[in-house]
This record gives sequence, structure tokens and C-alpha cells, in this order.
Amino acid sequence: MTDPVVESEFASVSVRLDTDGNSVRLRLEDLRTGRVRHLDALELETIIWLDDGRLTQLLDPSHERWRG
Amino acid sequence: MTAVVQPAPVATGQSRYSQLIRPDQVHGSLYTDPTIFAEELQKIWHKTWVFVGHESEVPQPNDYVRKQLATQDVIMTRDRDGEVHLLINRCAHRGLQVCDDASGNSSSFRCPYHGWTYRNTGELLGYPYNKGYGGKNKLELGMGKVPRVASYQGFVFGSLAADGPSLEEHLGAAAGEIDRLVGLSPEGEVSLDAGWLRHRTRSNWKFLAENETDGYHPQFVHGSIFGVTGSPIGALYSDSSTAVTRNLGNGHSENDLRPEFRNFAEPLRWFGTTPDRVPQYVAAMQESYGDDAERRLIEGAPHVMIFPNLFIAEIQVFNIQPVAVGECVQYATAVQLAGAPEMNKRMVSQSIGSVGPAGMLLADDTEMYERNQRGVQMLDPEWLDVRRGLQRESIDENGFTIGAATDETGMRGFWQHYRTLMEAED
Repeated sequence: MTDPVVESEFASVSVRLDTDGNSVRLRLEDLRTGRVRHLDALELETIIWLDDGRLTQLLDPSHERWRG
Repeated sequence: MTAVVQPAPVATGQSRYSQLIRPDQVHGSLYTDPTIFAEELQKIWHKTWVFVGHESEVPQPNDYVRKQLATQDVIMTRDRDGEVHLLINRCAHRGLQVCDDASGNSSSFRCPYHGWTYRNTGELLGYPYNKGYGGKNKLELGMGKVPRVASYQGFVFGSLAADGPSLEEHLGAAAGEIDRLVGLSPEGEVSLDAGWLRHRTRSNWKFLAENETDGYHPQFVHGSIFGVTGSPIGALYSDSSTAVTRNLGNGHSENDLRPEFRNFAEPLRWFGTTPDRVPQYVAAMQESYGDDAERRLIEGAPHVMIFPNLFIAEIQVFNIQPVAVGECVQYATAVQLAGAPEMNKRMVSQSIGSVGPAGMLLADDTEMYERNQRGVQMLDPEWLDVRRGLQRESIDENGFTIGAATDETGMRGFWQHYRTLMEAED
């Protein structure tokens, strides 16, 4: 079964529950580059509570990925 | 090749448009002259309120849809706080088209060329490798925005002019026709989310705007759909009809069929059905509106052309957008009434039958538009006639000029307003 994909014209990310660890994690894969990140429950909760402005800052392309 | 017949030189003290637009005739060059089209973009489409879409097309925060505003590709977005914006689909860096999909959900848009990223309000969030610009937040740039955006009953309009009459002032009496449509929903709400059909039309946009409330053509052009469906509507467009054509002002006009429907006093006759076939809808209307439900169901939905590009044709809505002097696009969709699933299913199937790819109504009209465009390029006669019913017009109880069902009262109202806009000083 293929993993569900969250995508728009700007990005494409597959989503899977990963149970290999001692508690379940979310496995995210950037399908355009193959880069993978796991998020545990506490990290996900943190994202939920992230201030909108902070999240918006992270969307700046030079914030992390294309910092140069 | 487009032939443009130019009228005699403008007399001293007379504007170009006062010469081209007479009370009973309009000059053929109004439909074929590229310089007039260019001036229309500037004085009408980039200035007045233009219908763009409906709030129901972006129901969730961060939804967006690509729409057309005249020759402009615009993105209608709903930001995370629920506010609707119209952005010009162009990157502030190298002018690239930012969004390519017809619709989506995203809080931000990233240009595929160099990665410049914008919030769905148009604000620039950032750009890759910011040292080349001296760091973050160094550019006072963003996506272009339609300066004025306003909604009426969920219908979203944009004006590319920063100043001008309000949307309510522009709509004037036509707002009441939108209210009539919305009043057919038990919840007082409509949505336009059934999907838009896109019909490319090789015709000047004004032929469409004029035709929408032309009650003279249905018996000729739409004989096939009236015959196949057994619709009683065709008979309402004749010299013996009590229906009226009304100039609502500001270029808006309607075919008011209510006098005929009131005579018959049959609920849902306007929709070609009877209450026993949509019992839940009728019950919901009675629940919402009590005794007034019957009047609403008898009088039906409006048939109104809202200048310059919104046509509400009872069960469907048309969004007309110009492309060039001899080309425009008609977007058509079925009206969906909140709280009326029985009706909505029928509205979609009726719309497919009338304006769908193999529909019998729009295709017939479009054949006329395109033949009109070809015909009007012929050299002689130079003028088109709009005098029908001029001698029998009257003023109704609300002060609006009305003509008989088949009269060209709506067209004359259109040209009156058109001339006012085209003659206005910048």
C-alpha cells in the first residue's frame, strides 16, 4: 500500500506512521528530494502550538534550506 | 483578418463615443477596433467592479483558485484569518507566473524560478541566499494585489482602481436580484462550487453582455432546447408576454418574468418542476420563510446581467471575461442553494444540459456570438440596430425604464453606461 501524500503544486510529502521505535512516530518524506524526517508525538505537539508568525518565518527559503 | 470600418471623423465638440453610440444604433467598430478594446480595458475592466468568483470556491483557510479578471491572471485566496484576497499571478522578482494549478490549499506560494516565497496575502516571506540582497527582509516587494476586493452575498468582485464607487453603489438595484437568488435557499445562501465550465468564444465580449437580456432571440436561437425539454419558458419571450425587460441602471438589466409566473401562480414552474418532486426543498422553504415561501417559489430566480460580466440566468451563473477584441471566455456553473440538495442535483443536471460541453443553450448562443463577430466585420451596413421597443418604453413604479419582453431596453441601458465610462476623464 502506498503512503498517503500531502501535496500541492509547491511541495509533495508522503506521510507514514512509523512503528519501528518504542513508540509511534510520524515519518515524513520530501518526495522531490528523498529527504526524510521523523517527528515524535512531542515534536508534533510543539508544531501545533507554534505561533503562526514563527511558522511563517520558517517558510522563508533562506531560513534553513537555502541559507547559502 | 479583422476589418475595421471607421465612421466619419468626429465633429468638433463631440466625443468619439457619442458619435459611435446613438440612442437607436451602435457602430460596428465598437466590436472590432483593437484601439477601442484597449481603451475598454483601461476605462472599464481595469476600473469598474468586475465579478471574479465566489467565496464558496475557497471555503477553507488557505484555499486558493486561479481566476481571470479581464486579461489578468489572478489568484483568489482565503488567508488563515478567513479574509479573501485577489493577487496578481506574477512574481515580483522576474515576473514569472507563480501559481500554475487551477486550485489548491497553501499558506504560501513559492515561485519555481528562484524560490521567492509569498504569503497567500501577497506579502514576500523571503528569498533563497539572502546575502545577495544584504540579508533578510531587505526588499519592499510583494505580489501585485487587486486594490479593492468586496463581496456581496458571497459573490466576489475586484476593482483594479484604488478609488471609485463602492460595490454597493455599483450594484445598485441589481443587488436586489442577487438577493432574490439567495432567497431561494432555505438557509439564505448560495454557493458556486459545482465547478466552472470554460467556453472559449471568438467574439467581442459586448455581444454576450447585450445578448443576456435580449428577449427577442430565445424563440429563434433556443427552439431546439425548448422543443426537446418541453419548457414553457420560450413562450414568455413574445409580443403577447407580460414579462418586462428592465434597465436597472449602471449598465445592469433584467428580463423580469415574474408577471407571467404570478399569472400562472404555480410554485416552481420557473424551474420546470412541481413541488411534489422536490418535497423536502418545499418543506424547508416553508420552514424558513413561512407564508412568503409560496411567493418565492412562484416568482423564481432572476435573469439579470450585471455590468460588465456577471450573468445570473436563473439556475446558472456566467462569468464573462474578455481576452482580445474578437475573443472572450464564458465560465459557467450551476447555482447551488444551501440546504436544498434535491434542487442542487437538478440544477447541476439542467446546467449540464444547457451549458455543458454538449449543452443545447450556450452552444446555440455561442454560434450566434461568433457569427455576429464575423458578420460585423463586413463593410456595409456599418451600424447595428438597438431601437426595438424604443417607442413603447415606460417608467415603472420604482423609476426604472422598462420595455416589453422582447425589447432592446437592456441593451440601450448597457450602452448608456458604457458611454459614460468610456467618456469619463481619467
